[in-house]
Amino acid sequence: MDLWTFVLLVVLTGVAAGLVGSLSGLGGAVVVIPVLVIAFAVPFPEATGAGLVTILATSSTAGASYVRERLTDLRIGMFLEIATVPGALIGATATVFLTHASLDSALLIALGCVLLAIIPGSLRRRHEELPPEGIVPDARSRKFGLSGRYHDAALGRDVSYTAAETTPALGVMFGAGIVSGMFGIGAGVFKVLALDRYLRLPMKISTATSNFMMGVTAAAGAGILLLAGYVNPVIAAPAAIGTAAGAYAGSRILPQMRNRTLRLLFLPVIAGLAIETILRGLGIG
Amino acid sequence: MNEIPAGRSATPTLPDAAYERMAQVLRAGLAVSLGVLVGSLVVHLVRHPGTTAQQAIAQNPILAYLTASGLAQGLANGTAEAYLTLGLLLLIATPLLRVASGFYYFRRGGERGMAAVTLTVLAMLLIGILVIGPLVR
Repeated sequence: MDLWTFVLLVVLTGVAAGLVGSLSGLGGAVVVIPVLVIAFAVPFPEATGAGLVTILATSSTAGASYVRERLTDLRIGMFLEIATVPGALIGATATVFLTHASLDSALLIALGCVLLAIIPGSLRRRHEELPPEGIVPDARSRKFGLSGRYHDAALGRDVSYTAAETTPALGVMFGAGIVSGMFGIGAGVFKVLALDRYLRLPMKISTATSNFMMGVTAAAGAGILLLAGYVNPVIAAPAAIGTAAGAYAGSRILPQMRNRTLRLLFLPVIAGLAIETILRGLGIG
Repeated sequence: MNEIPAGRSATPTLPDAAYERMAQVLRAGLAVSLGVLVGSLVVHLVRHPGTTAQQAIAQNPILAYLTASGLAQGLANGTAEAYLTLGLLLLIATPLLRVASGFYYFRRGGERGMAAVTLTVLAMLLIGILVIGPLVR
């Protein structure tokens, strides 16, 4: 395949992944990385590097809008980055060492398993928009002032919230950072889990703050992989450009389609890619 | 006893300028980095007409520009691959600038705890990129 065709196909893959990933809320990297590995025979660490660059582009696209609309809790996001960043540094470093040890196949199998693990988390999203009344903040939450208020246009009123259990949230965020740095995905499902289940934030704040944090987490992993020589711009740049364009189109053109049905349609695609990735890691297919 | 009742905000509020500035940083960083990446990628493709996808995947074209001196020299010479490296670095630097502006606003607001948190995050990011990256190469 000539280089122009390859670049064009990666851009188109990115556009499709960004569009569907943005509409379903799962992000484009979960599609881009396995497709790069399976369809284009891109080695695992280069696919991971491309995935992280993709996240950098998409998180800045959506992140800026959420910040401007005051849906991102800057304080809580930055507080939790103290856990995701070291996680991502460890994850990316582990990928480099495992690649040097010729354990790419094990990484592929692990990536497939992580993609499969995302699926139940995506199905188990909370139905209620707001957490229950009477959330009690822990000592760390009070110390750092991890509470806030936003205007909910759909409810037509201001909503106050406060972060509840910071210790388990920091633990989950550390794990999400490792997954993100190691496999090049945003790990938003895990981040939203921490923000939803442990900090008990309203769903809109959880989603926007998770997106906001993804950029910094991805920067930690991408920085290591770039300087280790595993971010190939001929792969990463078209993937990022396509995904950013797809995510932008998804957020602008069809916001009404961002619903559970689309997510349910998208999940079998991820499951198929995950199984194919595992089979590839096992040397089958 | 809880000093702050649940659901009630007693948190010092970040100024509107902080939100606006961070949104601007993210938008401008993305626009500039993607602009540099698109331009330099097109030049790279034009200058390497006979390259196959397999060759491009096997040989990362920016390896010579991953040091400060190599990058500076490549940029001065107008090498497309050096500009591809610059585009990637700008994309990675965008969230770092956002963290730095967070540190600025927390420090200006007298919030020592959050200023220390953001400074720690920034330090970890810089250590990762400047120390761990080159070390594991």
